[in-house]
Amino acid sequence: MTATSAAKAPTGAWGLRLRGFREFSRRFMRRRDGVVGLAILVFFTLMALFPQLFVGPLETAITASGKGLESPNLNHILGTDELGRDMLNLTIHGARVSMAIGLLATIITVLVGALIGIVSGFVGGLTDSSLMRVTDFFLVLPTFVLAIILAPIILDIVGVDAEIAGLRATLVVIVIVIGITSWASTARVIRSQTLSVKERMFVDRARVIGSGGRHIMRIHVLPNVMNLIVANTVLVFAGAVFTETTLSFIGLGDPFLPSWGQLLYAAEAAGAPGLGAWWYIAPPATCVVLVILGFTLVGNALDDLLNPKSGVRR
Amino acid sequence: MSGPTFSDPLRPREAAEAVDTEGHLVGAGSIGDEADGDGVLDATSIAAAALEAEVAASRGRQRPLPKQADPNAPLLVVENLRTYFTLESGTVKAVDGVSFTLNQGEALGIAGESGCGKTTTALSLVQILPSNAKIVEGSVKLMGIDLVGKSETGLRRYRWREVSIVFQGAMNALNPVQRVRDQIAEPIIERLGQPPEAARKRAGELLELVGIPKKRGSAYPHELSGGMRQRAMIAMALACDPAIVIGDEPTTALDVMVQAQILQLLEDLRHKLGLSLVLITHDLSVIAETCDRTMIMYAGRIAEEGPVSTIFRTPRHPYTQKLLAAFPNIHADRRTLDVIPGSPPDLRNPPPGCRFAPRCVFAMDVCTEVVPPEVTFDGVRVACHLYPEGSDGVPITVPPEPIDRPAPVEVSA
Amino acid sequence: MGGHYLLRRLVQAFLTIIAIVILNFFLFRMMPGSPERILLRNPHLTAETIAAARARWGLDDPMPVQLVKYLVATAQGDLGYSFQYRGQPVSEVIGIRFWPTIILVGIAEVIAIVAGLALGAYSGWRRGGRVDKVGNGASLILYSMPYFVIGMPLIIIFAAELGWFPTSGMLTPGMSYASPLDQLLDFLRHLVLPLVTVSLGLIGGYSILMRSSIIETRTEDYVTTARAKGLDENRIVRQHAFPNALLPTVTIIAINLGYVVAGVLTAEIIFNWPGLGTLTYQALSVRDFPVLQGVFLILSICVVFANLGADLLYGVLDPRVRS
Repeated sequence: MTATSAAKAPTGAWGLRLRGFREFSRRFMRRRDGVVGLAILVFFTLMALFPQLFVGPLETAITASGKGLESPNLNHILGTDELGRDMLNLTIHGARVSMAIGLLATIITVLVGALIGIVSGFVGGLTDSSLMRVTDFFLVLPTFVLAIILAPIILDIVGVDAEIAGLRATLVVIVIVIGITSWASTARVIRSQTLSVKERMFVDRARVIGSGGRHIMRIHVLPNVMNLIVANTVLVFAGAVFTETTLSFIGLGDPFLPSWGQLLYAAEAAGAPGLGAWWYIAPPATCVVLVILGFTLVGNALDDLLNPKSGVRR
Repeated sequence: MSGPTFSDPLRPREAAEAVDTEGHLVGAGSIGDEADGDGVLDATSIAAAALEAEVAASRGRQRPLPKQADPNAPLLVVENLRTYFTLESGTVKAVDGVSFTLNQGEALGIAGESGCGKTTTALSLVQILPSNAKIVEGSVKLMGIDLVGKSETGLRRYRWREVSIVFQGAMNALNPVQRVRDQIAEPIIERLGQPPEAARKRAGELLELVGIPKKRGSAYPHELSGGMRQRAMIAMALACDPAIVIGDEPTTALDVMVQAQILQLLEDLRHKLGLSLVLITHDLSVIAETCDRTMIMYAGRIAEEGPVSTIFRTPRHPYTQKLLAAFPNIHADRRTLDVIPGSPPDLRNPPPGCRFAPRCVFAMDVCTEVVPPEVTFDGVRVACHLYPEGSDGVPITVPPEPIDRPAPVEVSA
Repeated sequence: MGGHYLLRRLVQAFLTIIAIVILNFFLFRMMPGSPERILLRNPHLTAETIAAARARWGLDDPMPVQLVKYLVATAQGDLGYSFQYRGQPVSEVIGIRFWPTIILVGIAEVIAIVAGLALGAYSGWRRGGRVDKVGNGASLILYSMPYFVIGMPLIIIFAAELGWFPTSGMLTPGMSYASPLDQLLDFLRHLVLPLVTVSLGLIGGYSILMRSSIIETRTEDYVTTARAKGLDENRIVRQHAFPNALLPTVTIIAINLGYVVAGVLTAEIIFNWPGLGTLTYQALSVRDFPVLQGVFLILSICVVFANLGADLLYGVLDPRVRS
């Protein structure tokens, strides 16, 4: 009897989840900010997935189609960079790099953060306090500067032109470094959510039935923590794009697969601001802002909707 | 039997005014109260109580009435009050046609289960409602002045100076980063225009009045126990010497011993200061101990209203009967009212007719169609079709266990 | 009770700094090539200096000894030698660049805290009102902009096109000043755009933070009590809502100080503001590790102390933590 009821529980928890999802989508659609954010993200995702559909292959220094630093004209509606490459082309291809790095970095951040957060919150005791010491340490650190130190170190070890799983080393390093430096706040958030879930009745009941700790964590704690993880993940994505752009801007990007941050770095290096070459700066800058804004809007909307502590007005 | 009624708010409350059908004194204290300890309420006790009341009244209101006040009007008259909340999912008719009167020196207890609209009624009196709530109809006449329809600035005159509130769970009702003494002094400074020194001194006096040593005034709320915080809230409520004090579940968060002390305190203060009290609670034992009259609310409307002894001894409305049957002993274990099968209706879409009908064993066809009119007899007001217009208090006969009962309305999440 | 709290936080801060120094030490070890090549690469360093450094840092000693010697050396301010220029000690190089950054961040923080918290409080209190719609929207957009993205348009418009402000630097190069006042004015002219950039970046975040905090505080019981007391709205916000809304805000501002550092560094770069940001940028391009680690250490210490300050401030604001 106890065995079967324990086996039924997983479907129950996830089944309810699916039913709730439809209701949730309806409520989400009513929020103007979330919808705008979502629209922005869909737009850029398409851009990132199929850049060639819009502008053809990425222009390189060799295949540059124009003269250096042309201001916008009929041939190049967004002008060209100092190598004569079409800005529209570069910007649209930049979407793929920025979003891809953002996605990978987010995955790492959330996996690490969630793992540590859930284990720490659920197990408690010495494990919890030691893990939290480490987490707090990382929260205090100016992780950005740490990233700046780590990235060249890792690159030196691996070799700049190496390829890891088909990805250029430069980009992989950025992903890793963003992960190392951003997991801490996710861990904290998820830990506090785990703690509040832990307090609830059904975990005790599962214990009584005799489920092991890992089982409880996976089947009972995880679905309920999922809500907050999802909202947090979206915001982490925003942060990852933010950080990637900044790291590339500092010079850690890849000149051959330029992300928007890398384009801005190149613009700065070419003296674009002082020269008034706004077309070099505006497209990647605008895209960055829009994407981060999109994620932030969606993340906030999700947080509002999923957070039980929200005030009277929805 | 008629309960104490005073048309002149300035007239001192006289303890010995009302006597019930059996010659027992009512209105001077709780049921079972004995004036002079010999177990009998006789002439000497009555005289002693009257004298005490005179003294109390003379210590009462020192401050002048508001300019617009009508000295001949009852202290508080609420007529057909309707307060609705606008939610994404619909309009919640939280208070839907509530009327009552409060007279000088009275203690009125508003009882009912969670969500019945009692707190909303109280908040509607001085309109400190959340932004999505609105009084859509009705009047609230404080000393003859209608507060509904007054602007925010116009209302402020009456807040705290005429009507103050003691909220439940004083942990959160007190500002955690401000010292208790300063919170009590704040309305004295801001609303009465007194200088800070004098205000703090008065705050100290008020603390002593409620049984907190003056020097504890410099403490922050989290440094006080639950009982002391509640006392501090009471002291704060008295700061501007109001005519009416509303207690919204003032003892719910406290344990039984402390609860008894707080209720005793309220009683003493009422006598000493000639206060009028509106006590909101789901706990009938509290009302039994402290109030003169009681009003039973259900789903935004009044089910029954009248003097405490009458209601408790002969409850007319089926809901009241269920309530009273829900606990065996007035002074012991209190329980919330979940012994009645079913749950209160969804106030976004309340059932037509009587709102209690879906859960009522006596429900007739007319109950689900027509809103029961409020009928007065015997000093009691009841809204139930068992007592139609012109009834004298005897319920009309109902066939036992009618066959077709609509299922109790489930409240959707 | 206050003393106890203070002591505990001081000890924690101290331990954190030690942990950071140790982290720095291990970062040395991660680098390919001998520590010597990494630490003493500048050709301008004399043989004596190199030998003395090797002894000081115990480069020939076993690891634990090296660690201790490293800790001692760092405590004495010995952060190694830069790869660039004349092989100056890192502490000197950083020392020159430290104050411009502090001035920029310090003033920007003051502006942002005053303006951001005020805007956020007003927006949140009158949620849905005109100020809220405009203010919150603007804040969200600013919050989504890396600081250099805020700064670049400012340079293009106000410096390159309109010429109101210089495009870079802290002082006009090669200028001689008639009086200290002139120098100050020149400095201020150069300060405006970087300051506006960093301030705007911070305001966005702080405003959003305070807004959501006030929205939550607004529904608290003690605010209802304050309204029931008939207090006017200004007083309710000033005495009851704002002081309580400030508490979680201060905490989160403190937590985010590490990220603020990142933003300020990038802002400095586009303005060529001679602070730690441009130093980092240059050091990174030539892989000047001693300088990078020195900057990391200094900035970490600053953030730890800023956090400590925020904690103490929180203790002042919230009586509940004092006991």
